[in-house]
Amino acid sequence: MADETEKNPVLRVENLKLSYGDYEVLNGVSFEVRDGSCLVIMGGSGCGKSTLLKALVGLIEPAEGEVYFDSRNLWASSMEDREEILRGFGVLFQGGALWSSMTLLENVSLPLETYTDLSEPEVARVAEYKLGLVGLSGYEEFYPSQLSGGMKKRAGLARAMALDPKVLFFDEPSAGLDPLSSRRLDDLINELKESLGMTFVVVSHELASIFEIADDSIFLDAKSKTLLHQGSPASLLETSEHDHVRSFLSRGSSA
Amino acid sequence: MSEKESLIKNQGETSTRCVRFQRDGDDCFCFLQGKWSLESDEVRFAHSEWKRFLSANPTAVSFRFSSVELSDWDSALIVFLTQCRYDLEGLKKNFDTSVLPRGIIKLLNLSLVKKATKQRNEFNLNRGIDYLESEIVRFRDRFWGVAAFLGEWISGVASLFVGKSSMRIRDLFAVCRSCGASALPIVTLISFLTGLTMAFVGSVQLEKFNAKIYVADLVCLAMVREMGALMVAIVMAGRTGAAFAAELGSMKINEEIDSLRTFGISPMQFLVLPRTIGLFLMIPLLTLYADMVGILGGLTVGTQVMGFSMLHYFEQTQTALGGMWEVYSGLVKSLVFGLIVGLVGCYKGLASGKDSASLGRSVTSAVVTSITLIVVADALFEIIFSYLDLR
Repeated sequence: MADETEKNPVLRVENLKLSYGDYEVLNGVSFEVRDGSCLVIMGGSGCGKSTLLKALVGLIEPAEGEVYFDSRNLWASSMEDREEILRGFGVLFQGGALWSSMTLLENVSLPLETYTDLSEPEVARVAEYKLGLVGLSGYEEFYPSQLSGGMKKRAGLARAMALDPKVLFFDEPSAGLDPLSSRRLDDLINELKESLGMTFVVVSHELASIFEIADDSIFLDAKSKTLLHQGSPASLLETSEHDHVRSFLSRGSSA
Repeated sequence: MSEKESLIKNQGETSTRCVRFQRDGDDCFCFLQGKWSLESDEVRFAHSEWKRFLSANPTAVSFRFSSVELSDWDSALIVFLTQCRYDLEGLKKNFDTSVLPRGIIKLLNLSLVKKATKQRNEFNLNRGIDYLESEIVRFRDRFWGVAAFLGEWISGVASLFVGKSSMRIRDLFAVCRSCGASALPIVTLISFLTGLTMAFVGSVQLEKFNAKIYVADLVCLAMVREMGALMVAIVMAGRTGAAFAAELGSMKINEEIDSLRTFGISPMQFLVLPRTIGLFLMIPLLTLYADMVGILGGLTVGTQVMGFSMLHYFEQTQTALGGMWEVYSGLVKSLVFGLIVGLVGCYKGLASGKDSASLGRSVTSAVVTSITLIVVADALFEIIFSYLDLR
């Protein structure tokens, strides 16, 4: 734990305020994500977890506050700089969000074709390797519509890893998966974290998954519309002064 | 029946198969009995009987509900009791369910929700001003949305010329195939029948002036100046414009557009440019093809019905055309129509909401807006051509 706290923050959020028009979703959110760690964003339904994730990956502009990636301000950067910062990110959306008119190989190849000078066979080799990494060897020529929900998520993960990003963002990776597929995805996250040293930011409210993968976590509250607590899930369960946080982490049994 | 029940019977008793009401002084008793089922008509009678009993006993203070030989029940009973509670609360009378079975009380408590009060549609000046303001803001946002889309499209085209675009040539070819070659059968049918119909209609009128041969002029000029470009554009608005809107709209619902953005790939360059440019390139070719097929439609009537020789008809067509400007003017129009269909289809797809109803609205709106703009543009072209003496 001491080692982890010494690591530099790869992502820093300062006093973030998010809103849809006049409707405020979150306010005063500040936290850091350490290099090589897994931070879970948790909270009840409608508390703004996915909205926060979208602001972190450049999809929703915050009303106030800053997002720093390796000390570079995401939203104060020019469009070109922002696109370059975003290339350091990989995002896995809830349903995989694979491009439906392309095969899996084409899905993983597109970012490589766009941003690298690799030749076509080299791109295909890298894409095949990434698909193999998530257990989808042999499915290269399949279209997303031919895959199950779990396979789509894994393919989405392979695509998110295409450019070897520094930070991987997951929006509810376990949603809609059976317990075994969900467990396999958690194991994969842990493996990638250990072997490739990737940093993960995961939106989730699946307790089993949270305790399995999280080094650190933040808890968002729908009522106060802000960050209620930051810490590892186990420490939040033990020491949080907020009943709501302990109740959430113990499925209501400590309420 | 207990002694007490027989006593109160005289003070007013009413009953259905499901419920029996009795009054005793200030108290009323409601005995729930028999079978309560959503499918049963008896339940409906219970509701009307309850209303009647309630209005017949305005001085009663308390209403006690109990079950007597209640054989079977479902949501119908809970709905009935909820209604009773709502009525009694409105009249500030006591609603007593303490002797009902626990299961019923539990469900009744679960259904204890605050009734939403619907705002009445009364005229209110402030609300009227708020509505007007929100409509103006919405119009302004939409205007800026369209302006931003067009600006991004123009800069996308510019980036294409300087070789910085992320548009893939193979996507452009795929669009050209789907909105060009694949559209040939429907364009053939529509334009052939248009030429045919114009020849039939024209022949009846021209026959009166003994000028039947001018049917070739009519068909040829109408097709190349107007109908070829217009019919192709309308077919493409319904076929390709709608497909663009549906495709991009469903990509938005599935977060595919968002995932492109997170890779720093511009949806404008990756999705919109190949579609709009593909249609822009294909639509003049389709128009030229439609012009020829339309003339063939006229020729069919001219030779098979009106008895002209093929050579005679063609010579007349050639004379009517005069120069190639007639054809070019149709092609210039078609280029603009192609841009309208492509841009409107893509804009409506990207501006669609993230639910299926909104996607349906976007597709419909894409077709309607395209056709409206095509007709407006066509009229503007004719006005400009006539001012410039190009007709």
